[in-house]
Amino acid sequence: MTNLNDPATRQRLTEFVARAAGARNASIIALEQMSGGAVQENWALDVDLDGELRRWVLRTDARAAVRESLTRAQEYAVLKIAHASNVFAPEPLHLCEDPSVTGRLFFIMQRLPGVAAGHRVTREEKLVPDPGQLARELAANLARLHRIKPTQPGLGFLKTMLARDDIAHYRSYLDTLSQAYPVLEWGLRWCEVNAPQRQETTFIHRDYRTGNFLVHDGHLSGVLDWEFPAFGNPLEDIGWICARCWRFARPDLTVGGIAGVEDFIPEYERVSGRHVSPQDLDYWQVMAHLRWAVIALQQVGRHLSGTDPSLELALTGHILGQLELEILNLTGDT
Amino acid sequence: MNDRPYARELLATARDAFSTEILPALPERLRYTGLMIANALAIAQREVAAGDAPARAEYERLCKLLSERPAPLAGDRLYGVLAGYNRRLADEIRAGRFDGKESAAMVEHLRRTTEEKLAVSNPKALPGKNQSQEST
Repeated sequence: MTNLNDPATRQRLTEFVARAAGARNASIIALEQMSGGAVQENWALDVDLDGELRRWVLRTDARAAVRESLTRAQEYAVLKIAHASNVFAPEPLHLCEDPSVTGRLFFIMQRLPGVAAGHRVTREEKLVPDPGQLARELAANLARLHRIKPTQPGLGFLKTMLARDDIAHYRSYLDTLSQAYPVLEWGLRWCEVNAPQRQETTFIHRDYRTGNFLVHDGHLSGVLDWEFPAFGNPLEDIGWICARCWRFARPDLTVGGIAGVEDFIPEYERVSGRHVSPQDLDYWQVMAHLRWAVIALQQVGRHLSGTDPSLELALTGHILGQLELEILNLTGDT
Repeated sequence: MNDRPYARELLATARDAFSTEILPALPERLRYTGLMIANALAIAQREVAAGDAPARAEYERLCKLLSERPAPLAGDRLYGVLAGYNRRLADEIRAGRFDGKESAAMVEHLRRTTEEKLAVSNPKALPGKNQSQEST
């Protein structure tokens, strides 16, 4: 773990902030690590800039970067573009690519108010007095995010992952395992046979779900965790937020445990001008459960290989059955 | 041969003591770990109780699907052959050999295998049961 509060580091950080913000006087009022983030660390950073208090988040790598995750500089570039496209997201302010400041690369962004924790957002009525409204805000926000096109300058580092690329990617992972997973193979084959004929390609977030957005005063405050974006089929993001694993306390509410599809899909269609059929929704929910199953296998693999022994990772292996049952249910009457 | 109580009985007794005496006394910050330990003990207990029966049922269904003659296998040998048959099934599914009318019996097999697995790992997720969800 990085200790940013070591006096010399804190001093260098203060100098960086003053320089980056063009302030004559800068001082750090508070700097403490926020909860969550096994891969990236977030630090709440309060700074006095020429007599004005700024509430920021400093985001930095916690340890060696994981595969498939963007670098901090790339994440900063993505956030810049998302923010400029009127997507609700923290505004990125300063990127530090000089490792001599804290020992790692980091960026600073605006600290948005709100609660993200999935079990609270789906359970505490006072946090979300009007769930339908929140679902519509999430839908409209996602539609705005999907207006970012592959031709967008500055995002050339993002890969393109359409349905067939996803299928090939998950199969190549399964091929590295000693055990076979026939249900996952069935889901992948079903996705291959039913792959959309014509696919639109837009920017996709790939982790747009309950637990990754802040809710403040009952409204969407901002989307967090821009680590896994790509260019791909925009409906992939809709399948992901509707997957069972993100419903927390309310498995009966399809859209992230917050609302039913009737509060989400029409608004998404209205703002995006894109049609989402029930078949599309089923298709991308199957894909979402396949992706989550692969992630679960990767997590339990970290435990089983001994690289990261942990009871939590071990138990992740036992959610596979639920995901497989969902895949069998969604692939329908046989 | 070991003396009684056997593994299954010991797990049940240990889980009971853990859930009634330790879990309620844990401070809030250890509660999640406590719940995970209780869950792990419950899964292990159900796995020991189920024994070879689910693997045996899966093997017999696979023999039918793959046109193999079932043999009276048990223990490591059963699990070894089962792993090989599941690999064959997975390869055939990927190659599209179950795309047509053959898919019905195969999917029915997958559903029963998944339900047998859930009866051990998470019986609450079985169809018709109270749908509570463990999420991270």
